[in-house]
Amino acid sequence: MPEATLRTLSDPGRAGPASRLSRLAPVHWLALAFLAAALGFAAVAWATGNGFYLRLATEALIFAGLAMSVDLLLGYTGLLSLGQALYFGLGAYVSALVLRDVAASFWLAMAAALLAGGVAGLIGGVIANRVKGVYFALITFGLAQVAAKTVYNTRALGASDGLIGIPQISIGFGPLSLDTADPLSFFLLVLVLTVAAYAGLAYLMDAPFGRTLAAIRANEKRVPFLGFNAWRYKLAVYVLAACVAALAGALYPMLRGFVSPELMFFETSGNAVITVIVGGVGTLVGPVVGSLLLTALRSVVGSWTEHHLIVVGVIFMLSVIFLRKGLVGALLARLSRRTGQGRATP
Amino acid sequence: MADLIDYLQFVLAPQALNGLSLGVAVVLMALGLTIIFGLLDVINMAHGEFYAMGAFLALTLAGLGIGFWALLVLVPLLMLPIGWLAERWLIARVFHSRDRHILTLLLTFGLGMIMEDLLKLVYGPNTQRPENPIEGGTEILGMFLPNYRLFLIGFGLALIAAVWLVVFRTGLGAMVRAAAFDKDMASSLGVPVRRVYAGTFAFGVALAGLSGVLLAPIYSVFPTMGRDFILMAFTVVIVGGMGSIQGAVIAGLLLTQVQALSSLYISPVWSDPLVFGIMVLVLMVRPQGLFGRLGHA
Amino acid sequence: MTKTTLLGTAALVLLGLGGFASAAEPIRIGVVTPLSGTYAPIGQQVRWGLELATTEVNAAGGILGRQVELLFEDEEANPAVATQKAEKLFQVNKVDFLTGTVNSGSTLVVGQLAERNGRLIATTVSFSDAITTDKCSPNVFRVNARAGQQSAALAEWLAKDKPKAKVYYLGPDYEMGRSTVAAFKAAAEKTGAQSTGEVFAPLGSKDYSQYFGQLRAARPSVLYTSTAGNDTVRLLTQMGEYGLLRNLTIVGASGTVTAQNIGAIGKAADGFVTGVGYSAELATPENQAFVAAFRKAYDTAPDLYGADSYGLIGFFKAAVEKAGGTDTDALRKAMEGLSWSTPQGRKTMRAGDHQAIQDMYAVRIAADGASTRFDVVGTVPGDAAIGPDLCTRF
Repeated sequence: MPEATLRTLSDPGRAGPASRLSRLAPVHWLALAFLAAALGFAAVAWATGNGFYLRLATEALIFAGLAMSVDLLLGYTGLLSLGQALYFGLGAYVSALVLRDVAASFWLAMAAALLAGGVAGLIGGVIANRVKGVYFALITFGLAQVAAKTVYNTRALGASDGLIGIPQISIGFGPLSLDTADPLSFFLLVLVLTVAAYAGLAYLMDAPFGRTLAAIRANEKRVPFLGFNAWRYKLAVYVLAACVAALAGALYPMLRGFVSPELMFFETSGNAVITVIVGGVGTLVGPVVGSLLLTALRSVVGSWTEHHLIVVGVIFMLSVIFLRKGLVGALLARLSRRTGQGRATP
Repeated sequence: MADLIDYLQFVLAPQALNGLSLGVAVVLMALGLTIIFGLLDVINMAHGEFYAMGAFLALTLAGLGIGFWALLVLVPLLMLPIGWLAERWLIARVFHSRDRHILTLLLTFGLGMIMEDLLKLVYGPNTQRPENPIEGGTEILGMFLPNYRLFLIGFGLALIAAVWLVVFRTGLGAMVRAAAFDKDMASSLGVPVRRVYAGTFAFGVALAGLSGVLLAPIYSVFPTMGRDFILMAFTVVIVGGMGSIQGAVIAGLLLTQVQALSSLYISPVWSDPLVFGIMVLVLMVRPQGLFGRLGHA
Repeated sequence: MTKTTLLGTAALVLLGLGGFASAAEPIRIGVVTPLSGTYAPIGQQVRWGLELATTEVNAAGGILGRQVELLFEDEEANPAVATQKAEKLFQVNKVDFLTGTVNSGSTLVVGQLAERNGRLIATTVSFSDAITTDKCSPNVFRVNARAGQQSAALAEWLAKDKPKAKVYYLGPDYEMGRSTVAAFKAAAEKTGAQSTGEVFAPLGSKDYSQYFGQLRAARPSVLYTSTAGNDTVRLLTQMGEYGLLRNLTIVGASGTVTAQNIGAIGKAADGFVTGVGYSAELATPENQAFVAAFRKAYDTAPDLYGADSYGLIGFFKAAVEKAGGTDTDALRKAMEGLSWSTPQGRKTMRAGDHQAIQDMYAVRIAADGASTRFDVVGTVPGDAAIGPDLCTRF
């Protein structure tokens, strides 16, 4: 394993993308399968004629974006962030304010959220990356708490009621345009964005950048001896994760027409972590699958009993103890055994 | 001059005394947390829920007619086996993994979630409160302090002293410290390490439960009460030094004084950010806290 | 059998079946209310009130011959969850009407969703003024009293019972806590009370003893608080601990002392006065019947959430009957200006802002440790309490 990592790091001029495709890791096949299933689902849901299922699935995908950002930090760099909802909520509020008060432009809202996420991520990263492990977790937790409380008390941001009246907009791609009010087209857009994010992040994680992160996760002390500044990489991935979370959050007000401080609360961060663990930490597609599964579960169980936290909590604990790599991880393990192919990560 | 004395007597001193009773409560919570971390390297995110469990147990038992003083002994005793089992059945399973820190954090987080919902399921979401066992108050130097708070301060300090005695002056405590320092060596010297682990976790949990019993009459009882203390308790543990009893006591008393006295001068809404800010500062400047770790302190 | 008879019989059967089908088609009301979490006790009262009223209405033949069906979903007092569940009720369950939201954030958000789905909602709990003033919506109705009405009733009582009193204000430090204090302060100062200071404690404070020094120094005869739930329990019991309850009258917002926390507050709640739209002790015959039925069904007294939710079904029934169906525009027209009878007497839904006008009461709690009563100690007629119509949207 370490030899493979070394070889990759010292030989960046390896095979190009084309031949990479033919040697796609099982996890990417899983992602493609998921995409196919999502499209099938969209067709079925659209046929039923009501937008509820499509919008529920869109919401699940938006929170999947948040979960992917948690996975970037936890699965690839070994950093547990308990406050990722801070960036998610930030992106949501920025997007809401842009759409409501500046211009009903999708691109502007996304750009503003990206910028906000990047800046906040930089600040948060500098503070949090001084420490590791549980201390890192506690600092991210505290940061999110303080920010959430501040937003909760700020009248200009709607205080505890949040902001409503975010308009439904139409998004233009040159000649084509789609309406956020239309559940099917917005679902497809978010699906495309999610897949694009997945593809981009997966590529990045397979590239030297991702390999360095894996090295940091394996043994941070050794990394400087290989010539890399661990702190810079950790900060970079933290900012990246913050941006991903902020972009995901920016989509929320487009879907639901409002934002509220609950989007920044620990509950949201905690749910993201649960999603990642149950879905499959370190796989990027695992969080997406996990998010869809848990959203569906909560919706269904929530209709029977108000104690769905117990159900989710039990599933979560079972995953931590028995299914260390989550559902997707367990699936991949089975597939690897069959095809003899695996990921070169420790 | 008279103004200064007046200020000291009527403003600062009562505030400091109030901070002391809160401080003792926080220290009791933080003690269990820091002992568990010091020995087991486990962040017990469910600590607040064990505190809540203690308070609810006290309510149930009181409903059966058991008196407050008996509860002070009975509830921790009942929580010991619960803590023991939690360690054996849950924590021990992830203990030997490389990602132990994160896994136990996640595990106890999940446990806390389940416990909170279970408490809601069993007891309902309404607030409840046991009767205050010691009514009335005393005048001390012109300050009025409720008798129960005085009892709390006294009992709490005695309890802290007892814990310190057990850990640092008994054979049992020596075993615990040895296992924290070097578990393999301790094991080869005949210390039953696995039992020490389970016992220590149980002890920490029992302390949390006892805090629940003590604070229920003044802070009341409801399923989400575990979240009251969590930020403060973790801050105390970090500032004092993960695993240091001395650190937990000093940091606990100090931080609560800071909070109590600062609320005289700055808006109370800044007290949580202030506490958090201190935690961040300590983590950035001196991550091992004031006093380091249990085995090594 | 001749062709005509056959056709005739077939037509009759089909008509009969069709008629049977439409008579059996129930009116569905969605209820999105917190069934878990801190607000669960309020959601519980809402549920009881609605269920009791629905049972009675259904037993008497339903509305326009159709039975009423309630569909419950848990919103966890989180607007994000509320909107999801409400959308499910609107689109999958196809409810005709929706209610149950408790916190104002959820009400506003679900109201917006209702506009997008072409349906109406009503709240029976949210008392934030904004819902029927600056954030009013043509699809949102409120059958309970709002904060302004509550303050009016309390301020009126204060002026009568304790003229020119010195009042100290203590509230939780967040938007709702602060605005409630500000609203009452304005109303009280207008009727002659003097303000001697205020302090805002963080939401969820454990220990209020740190504020007692300031409180004592101000030497008020009245303390107004807008805390709620656990915060009230801690505030009042700690004040009792420190002997501050003697010689001090505590008054507060309607949500400060409710069924959720009164058990825990115990004797410390004795003498607490608030302005509300309901008390189980109201002596009208409708109320006595209602309370008796409520106690029989649920073994506990109704509080203002239960009573207002019960009254909602009466409102809805009257509106549907007036509109002749559940079409949204017709229903809305029928609801505006509608007057209907509730356990608290008659209420009128003001057309301009969809706010119910009702008589308001000052209520004092009598708690001796064994039982609690909510005695009515003052009344303000509806028109005096209501305040101006500040809704400009429609």
